[in-house]
Amino acid sequence: MFTPTPRVQVPRSATRGEVIEIKTLIEHPMETGLRLDSNGEVIPRKIINEFICRYNGEVVFRTDLHEAVAANPFISFSLRATTSGRLDFIWNEDFGAVYALNHTLLVD
Amino acid sequence: MAETTVAQEVTRRTILAAAIAGGAGLAGVAVAATPEADADAVEEARRMTGKVVTLSPRLHLLMPSHFANGYIVPFTLRIDSKMTDTDHVRQVQVLAPRNPINPVATFYFVPGRSEPAVSTRIRLAEPQDVLAIAEMNDGALLMARTFVEVETNGCN
Repeated sequence: MFTPTPRVQVPRSATRGEVIEIKTLIEHPMETGLRLDSNGEVIPRKIINEFICRYNGEVVFRTDLHEAVAANPFISFSLRATTSGRLDFIWNEDFGAVYALNHTLLVD
Repeated sequence: MAETTVAQEVTRRTILAAAIAGGAGLAGVAVAATPEADADAVEEARRMTGKVVTLSPRLHLLMPSHFANGYIVPFTLRIDSKMTDTDHVRQVQVLAPRNPINPVATFYFVPGRSEPAVSTRIRLAEPQDVLAIAEMNDGALLMARTFVEVETNGCN
């Protein structure tokens, strides 16, 4: 059974007001529901349908993903560092599975 | 020393090849960047979303004009916005009109928190205009389009 593996690249620290770039990736086939197996049966859709980033609990960036996002979805985005705290990265999969990582950001 | 010479030669050839390919790519863009193509893109957006959008230079949709592998086409989007409470981007919807399923992704930004810039990789079934439609805080719908030619169908 394949287990999706999330990864993030975030700076350890930032100065107040600085814009930091965050790179995220989750290893996932993003099965579109458009493909057929060797018996000609449709392989059911199973994709990561949402990605959320929280900063000290507040949603600061979010993405709805559809079938056309490539396998192993890579998303890079930028946040404004305001206070030290916790960043949560959450990937929601079809049928309710959730994958998550967190990171502590130091801001001075 | 000989190796260095070879490396330089390859580099020069690579640059020449890239220059030729780049020239062809630019010609393709020049053909596509007609008022008709712009009007078609606006009409496609209306067909898919039911809304009237305006092409805007504030959106910078950066994708290769030619990319062989339709499964992993690089996508970068940047929007000119200060992201203040009174002037910001709420969300950006990305559409692929010639894919079997048109919506690609929607990105949601927060004023003062996230910057209106994002990169990812997308699947394209065939050569087409990729559309990005930004909804601003005043409700304006601003669009950018860019024509991307792929060789393999990334959707099967």
